Amino acid sequence: MRFFMFHLMPYPYLPDDFDERESAWVTLSNSNYDPVVGTGLYNRYLDELEYAEQLGFDGICVNEHHQNAYGTMPSPNLMAATLVRRTERLQIAIVGNGLPLRDHPLRVAEEVAMLDVISGGRIISGFVRGIGDEYFSMGIDPSTSRERFSEAHDLIIKAWTTEGPFRWVGKHYRLNYVNVWPRPLQQPHPPIWIPAFGSAETMYWAAEHHYTYLSVFAPSRLLKRWFDGYREGARAAGYEAPRDKIGILLPIYVAETDRQAHAEGSQHVTWLYHKGLKHKFEHLFPPGYMTEHSWGRFLQSGLGAYSDVSYEDLVKEGYAVVGSPATVRERLAELAEELGFGLVNALLHIGDMPHDRTIRNMELFAREVMPHFREQSAAA
Amino acid sequence: MTDQNGQHLPWHLDLGGGRICLMRGGAGEEMLFLHPAAGAGFWLPFHDLLAARFDVISPDHPGFGESDRLEWIDGMEDLVYFYLDLLDALELEAVHVVGASLGGWLGADLAVHQPARVRSLVMVDPIGLDLPEHPVGDIFGMNPDELREALFLDAELALQFISPEPTLDMLMRAFKEKTSFARLAWNPFCCNPKLHLRLHRVTAPTLVLWGSDDRLVPRAHGERYRELIADARLEIIDGSGHAPLLEQPERTVEAIQRFHESLVGAGVC
Repeated sequence: MRFFMFHLMPYPYLPDDFDERESAWVTLSNSNYDPVVGTGLYNRYLDELEYAEQLGFDGICVNEHHQNAYGTMPSPNLMAATLVRRTERLQIAIVGNGLPLRDHPLRVAEEVAMLDVISGGRIISGFVRGIGDEYFSMGIDPSTSRERFSEAHDLIIKAWTTEGPFRWVGKHYRLNYVNVWPRPLQQPHPPIWIPAFGSAETMYWAAEHHYTYLSVFAPSRLLKRWFDGYREGARAAGYEAPRDKIGILLPIYVAETDRQAHAEGSQHVTWLYHKGLKHKFEHLFPPGYMTEHSWGRFLQSGLGAYSDVSYEDLVKEGYAVVGSPATVRERLAELAEELGFGLVNALLHIGDMPHDRTIRNMELFAREVMPHFREQSAAA
Repeated sequence: MTDQNGQHLPWHLDLGGGRICLMRGGAGEEMLFLHPAAGAGFWLPFHDLLAARFDVISPDHPGFGESDRLEWIDGMEDLVYFYLDLLDALELEAVHVVGASLGGWLGADLAVHQPARVRSLVMVDPIGLDLPEHPVGDIFGMNPDELREALFLDAELALQFISPEPTLDMLMRAFKEKTSFARLAWNPFCCNPKLHLRLHRVTAPTLVLWGSDDRLVPRAHGERYRELIADARLEIIDGSGHAPLLEQPERTVEAIQRFHESLVGAGVC
């Protein structure tokens, strides 16, 4: 089992009447963001990610979100750039660059290649479409999201793997000279990770390309369906999907006892799901962002808003794992068995968790939980 | 095209790479009705009122109602060329045009591209103009309550058109239509920033109608259309929000009929 420490870098200081607001995205005014507080937060969050190296994690994850309180990393490549120079061994996973939200895919090809070269080949390149809200925030037509993603992906991969200059004639991008300097260090290119929200098209597409497939926040019953879909896609492409190409994103909170873990952790898990992930439905699912097929499946899945799921159910249904080291080991083993993942992106800073609690959570997880799964892998 | 019960049967034609659905009823000179972003696929009371004096042709735009989505249509200009092909396919040299909201914009753009094919133009609360000082409400981000409030003056009627308990079929159709609408109007939002430079090409007699209480599109858009199209008139339909053809069908169609009578009287048509 491989372990990555995931961070969202939320802005936890929401207005007192936040529960009456429609969303932590798009319309939550940035007058609520205090840059002086932000200086402290960014540096503290970066310290936490850097500390993961000392604790023996395989890697760390940063991601991209725009104009919200849930995650304050509009440019994941900037965050990776600061981390590359402060770490030596860790892999740095950018999960990912929101391709359709960028005007120019070659900026992504160039920046990720730069990071790969500077880091000596420690970059993992995730590609995402961005979430629905971001199509409002960035003014991008969501009905073109899928085709822009697909074309930008093809262009980036070709730019990394084909000697330039070459010509590119697509629907959204047309270039007479594609000739990206620097080229990436890892050959043929950095590993590609694809975080996804259960769309059938994406599962199959990721499997066809032999890319690592990552889940996002959902109950384990749905994750099972998503991972099965990816495995099915791999079989359709003529191979068995290896466990280590299947990754779960999981908020995890470990304390000395179950009782203490819930007493401390419930507030932070609740912040994440009830505040940070509070969306206006129409913003989260703009027209054409999903195919009609996926939209139909979603409507029939009965998946409601995160904010409607109580803390007890969040824990019970596998949205988060909270407990003593023994409980967390047990629950993680159970989920791994049920879902068949070999990669854990552990969200160890959750919502409004303070620094000391985050550090203790990371230490307990690294010392009391991770080794158990390493030994298991070694024995297997 | 009615069955024995007088129902207007949709018929289909293959055009532009897909199957297009079209309703037609009434007798008289041909009138093309261009529907707004929602509500395609239904023959409504206002259709009957218009059909009393005209041969009303009411297609579902590609990607709306029962019509297939055509991949190549991703902007208003594409839709204009689609409609020019449709007029050819129906062997219609020139038609009267009535368009509502999105359909009003389409009608104006059609008259810009091929002025001679539009005998007269009626736009009901049209979008299409770029007036940053008078923004159109963000219809894509509205929830059903906000939509009812933005579109209708009569809250009871709003519940009839935007159901509080939508079926899966209704949700799927809304998704399809909003997706097609996004291709036309997401960015630039609900307008062509160059339309005002082109409206001088419109030669058809033009009437702009505006709901007295349109909360989605400010009346300034109607006033600007009136200024930009030679001899255009603007009339207000009392007791209506953004959709006068739904909220005040009699009043709205009467205004359209008065307009056409004035044209006949003036020898224009």
